[in-house]
Amino acid sequence: MLSEVDELFKTYIPYYILVFLPIFIIVSPTNPVSASYEFPAYRMQHYDLHGVPYGSRVAAINLEARSLSTWSSSRHCIVTRLADLTYETFSNVKNKVGALVLALPENLTNFTAEKQQHLILENKIVFDQETQIPVYFVKPTKEFNGIITELASNIDTNDKKKSATEALFGSVAANGYQIVISASTPSVQTNNKIATIHGYLQGSRSDGKVPTIVIVAYYDSFGIAPDLSYGVDSNGSGLIVLLELVRIFSTLYSHPSTRGKYNIVFVLTGGGKFNYQGSKKWLDDQLDAAESSLIQDAAIVMCLDTLATSDTMFMHVSKPPKEGSAASIFFKHLKATSEKFPGKTVEGVHKKINLAEDILAWEHERYSIRRLPAFTLSAIKHPKDPWRFTVHDNRDNLKTERLIQNAQIVVETVGKFVFNLSEGDSFNGNLDVSKANVENWLKSISNQPRSAQLLTNKDNGFVSSLQHYLNKYLQEVKVTYAVADKRDPDYQFYGSTQATMNIYRVKPAVFDLILTLAITTYLGAVYFAISYIPSLYSICSNLVKNKKDQ
Amino acid sequence: MTLYHFGNCVALVYVPYYLAYKQSGLSEYGAFWKCVQAGMIYMFTQLIKMLVLATFFPDNVGEGTGSLIAEFFKDTVDLADLVGLYFVLNGIPGKGHSKVLTAGIGWATAELILSRALLLWIGARGAEFDWIYIQKCLESNVLLVQHIATATLIWLWSRHNLNKNLKTIITLLLILTCYKPLLFDSLTHILQLGVWLGLVIKAAFALVYGLFTLTIYASVADIIGIY
Repeated sequence: MLSEVDELFKTYIPYYILVFLPIFIIVSPTNPVSASYEFPAYRMQHYDLHGVPYGSRVAAINLEARSLSTWSSSRHCIVTRLADLTYETFSNVKNKVGALVLALPENLTNFTAEKQQHLILENKIVFDQETQIPVYFVKPTKEFNGIITELASNIDTNDKKKSATEALFGSVAANGYQIVISASTPSVQTNNKIATIHGYLQGSRSDGKVPTIVIVAYYDSFGIAPDLSYGVDSNGSGLIVLLELVRIFSTLYSHPSTRGKYNIVFVLTGGGKFNYQGSKKWLDDQLDAAESSLIQDAAIVMCLDTLATSDTMFMHVSKPPKEGSAASIFFKHLKATSEKFPGKTVEGVHKKINLAEDILAWEHERYSIRRLPAFTLSAIKHPKDPWRFTVHDNRDNLKTERLIQNAQIVVETVGKFVFNLSEGDSFNGNLDVSKANVENWLKSISNQPRSAQLLTNKDNGFVSSLQHYLNKYLQEVKVTYAVADKRDPDYQFYGSTQATMNIYRVKPAVFDLILTLAITTYLGAVYFAISYIPSLYSICSNLVKNKKDQ
Repeated sequence: MTLYHFGNCVALVYVPYYLAYKQSGLSEYGAFWKCVQAGMIYMFTQLIKMLVLATFFPDNVGEGTGSLIAEFFKDTVDLADLVGLYFVLNGIPGKGHSKVLTAGIGWATAELILSRALLLWIGARGAEFDWIYIQKCLESNVLLVQHIATATLIWLWSRHNLNKNLKTIITLLLILTCYKPLLFDSLTHILQLGVWLGLVIKAAFALVYGLFTLTIYASVADIIGIY
């Protein structure tokens, strides 16, 4: 029997082992634990506009995490809450530290004064000059907040107030965190196409000369990190109002009896947050085209921008409209309509185009420069209001009721204008904004970030869904693309907008040394224990003998 | 620095094995290949165990989330370990203590290499620090004591000149060792013990178990007159 077993070992088993040992190791059930944290991290804006670089230029991080108070060199990465940061500390820190990881505040619905402060800070950071360090934003989660708190409570070894032993213990046993984001150097996006979609409704007049009105809204959003910018109000609200106008007026225009006295051209432009690149390109195409275009004799150009922020509707113009001009008639209609809604007011705002500045304030200025009678309707008074450039502009912070009311005002005003009605007339519910439709679109736009750099790929799903919608209602829907010039680009976007951030728990080097000391001591103890076994054995056998003897 | 930590762990886990091998005098017997042979039988046994587990408990192998009864049956498969150790003991010629020590150390070393080496190589070398590697290393040290004791008990059990009462006790003990993981797991679960405390309990158990085995061995060795 024994020899057979021996035989077995000599012949077969070595081969078995040769085959099975690797398998064994692979399927070994003791998987190494992965205790590291993983968070999705969103990189700060990174773009060039008119040759000026903005945002953070670097993407990769492999640094030790520190809090705002304990960092000391460029080998550290500051991990803190955005709310704990001020602009002064940010500009102080941004050229000295290795990287910044900032947790966004929970949500901003509840507080107001702080909220405004916070938005201003966010704006200052994002419109600041470029930084050469990676800056990432993280959504606030329980784990991440825990890490921030722990980092903040770690004892600063240079702190004189703590006792020596405390400091020593802190430097040995403290949990350190290593932040790792592996990303390559962000490269310029080669595909910088910005899509602009337009289509029109044919009006009719007995004399055959039909003037045109143009309604424009840009559809992209902007925030401190491209992948967090949902822009539900700015400019999701303008987009939704335009889409409602499309739906309502296409129904009216489809019957000869209710056809309006104006052609209406609807334009959805891209790159609105990048100095209205879409509008610029589209306007150039239309005005410089060989054949005459509808908009060359446009009566008014109405731009819609951020319409759900307040109950006051501002009509922004670059030049006060003359009495009796189309724009002034429109303004009167607007005023009259809003009076029917309690609590709603209308205000005209006149602001000259500042030609010295590269960045235009409102979209209508693009049209005013080309001598078209243009204005912007917005619920915001100041073009640099931080609310237009924030990641907190999301579904939770938008009041649907207010959006619907404001949309209703715009729709009725346009209705009165195109049908040449007097100020007192009403539409008896023919022009109602559909709540279901608005909510559908709100849902769709709050599902995905719409930063311009995320929409540049060909056949982008969101752009084609807009095109599809316009196709359903309008004539001659076309998509044109603005492409940045190769040699001297107006704008350039950069990739790697988001990454996975790994946080590893690490111990300081001293800890490992002390561990070695402890292990050596332990091994020494084991050595003595083993050499003690023979004497233990004799004790045992003596014990047994004694028992027997008794 | 992390490679240094790996070095720490390796020292912690392998040095006691080396010391046991050297100090027990096995190296003088030239028992190295015997140890390797024991390790190979260990691998073969594990393979069979895995085949059995995969055949009869295909759903929850390696998950540890099964019910108590499923865990019980899975641990029953560990009886194969005892059979494997029995074969190892049969395959090794020699007198009592060297035989037992060769089997025990060979068996434990094979387990160590197969189950810990990869874990340490992947885990302890990473940037992430976790106490689990130190804990696993200490646990391996405890297992060395336990495997030697188990080998001794099996050797005793296979002897003919053992009185009936002692044989029953040994049988019970051996079966108990098979279900030891289950017992410890449920104990730590019920009492909500930390990992460190669990480790201390395991070490204490191994120590008592080892001392008990040593006593029986001493009595038997006295009777048959070896050592």
